[in-house]
Amino acid sequence: MLKFKTAIDAAAILLLMMTCARLLIAQSPELPSGPMQKKVTTACTECHESRIILQQRLSKATWTKEVDKMIKWGAVVDAQDRDAFIDYLSTHFSPDKPAMEMPRSALQKNKQ
Amino acid sequence: MLSRRDFLSEVLAAAAAAGSFGLLPAWSAEEPSIDIPGEEGMIVRSARFLDLEMPPGFFDSWITPMPHFFVRNHMHEPSTIDGETWRLSIGGEVEQPATVTLRDLDGMPPHTVTNTLECAGNGRAFQEPRVPGIQWQKGAVGNARFSGPRLRDVLERAGVKPTGRHVMFHGLDEVPGKVPPFIRSIPIEKALDQHTLIATKMNGTPLSKHHGFPARALVPGWIGAASCKWLGEIKVLEKEFDGNFMKPGYRMPNHPLTPGEPLNVDDSHVVTALNVKSVISSVWDQAKIKNKVQKVHGAAWAGEADIVKVEVSTDGGTSWEDAQLGREHAKYAWRLWNYLWKVSKSGRYTIMSRATDSRGRVQPMTADWNPSGYLYNAIDQIKVNVEI
Repeated sequence: MLKFKTAIDAAAILLLMMTCARLLIAQSPELPSGPMQKKVTTACTECHESRIILQQRLSKATWTKEVDKMIKWGAVVDAQDRDAFIDYLSTHFSPDKPAMEMPRSALQKNKQ
Repeated sequence: MLSRRDFLSEVLAAAAAAGSFGLLPAWSAEEPSIDIPGEEGMIVRSARFLDLEMPPGFFDSWITPMPHFFVRNHMHEPSTIDGETWRLSIGGEVEQPATVTLRDLDGMPPHTVTNTLECAGNGRAFQEPRVPGIQWQKGAVGNARFSGPRLRDVLERAGVKPTGRHVMFHGLDEVPGKVPPFIRSIPIEKALDQHTLIATKMNGTPLSKHHGFPARALVPGWIGAASCKWLGEIKVLEKEFDGNFMKPGYRMPNHPLTPGEPLNVDDSHVVTALNVKSVISSVWDQAKIKNKVQKVHGAAWAGEADIVKVEVSTDGGTSWEDAQLGREHAKYAWRLWNYLWKVSKSGRYTIMSRATDSRGRVQPMTADWNPSGYLYNAIDQIKVNVEI
């Protein structure tokens, strides 16, 4: 059973919960789980956040070009992992997947 | 000890109390939001690098307020620019290489150009087959008053040699990894045009960091990427610059491609002026409508040309009627438009907008496909259910 002495405790907990939720939104979402999740996250999010990947809906041929371009631009990908990167990205972010819902920036009045 | 129901009611009471005192952050499960100072209600396509899109509902203002103006960053914003110590160098094919300060720029005769700035990739998300890049829908575009000295006045200080045919801008974007620096060029004719500026102000206030403080190029009527932000260097060249953001980046095929066909860089040209285009800003896409008279409205622009007509269809493109153009207009600025739709029967309707410009260009039903989704300008459409 949960114990709260006053409504102030409850309010504090609520604000904490909302702050945590907000921080989670502000942080980039995680890439989908799978054997390459960690390696793709490390290689790509060094330079840009995950939403740039999460919003793409590309064929395998296009993902291949993108991965090779990013390697040329400094993404650290072991040569033996290149094909697995392409498989992971083209499986999770293919043209048949529904569009990603993007967050909004907060309204000015709420920041005062 | 509180029961679970008591706990919930206390939490709700606390929430109501906190809300009434304005303590709560603007967050709910339905409307997640991210705090980005100076940017209000924008669609966050990426928070790092920052890429913000204006939602369709904000197309209702002729001048886009700074907090609603789209942000397109290719890389990290410069972390250390200081207006006092910032210097802009002018060199290359000039008689006398020069360095100017922000104070120098602000001391030159100022000019103001009201310009619709649109990202070349705006609308990319609607291309089929799908193309890579930031998945902009309608709002990587805005209309603002940009002020600063003419680029030609600055170039005249250095004296352009007859061999100078192109003008290169080098942005101070912070480059991650081995990404090439943001450098692009424009032809000398456009650089010397009376409307091309080194802008230091936007809507009457100094540029914000997201929009290129302390100075950016303003190349009116052209894609946003031509108006290089955070200028650090201007160099006059004999030939068009051919680095990544000119080639293979920002190029269009010389001949229309079959959707899905790769671009042959040797048979392509760099993207310059914007297309003729209109968008519907009425926010009721997929909504139910109960009124017999509805205002359909939006904006239309055409780069270096003028909008002469916007037509609206409410029957999926079978018949078209002229919309009324807004009174406010300027050479490179969008025109707002509106149309009063009188509807007499319930049903599902497809509403479309189609712009025509002074060069006779008309928005097509389907945009030409290219592998980067540049200059998308298909007739805009929304669908609504009418229940009257």
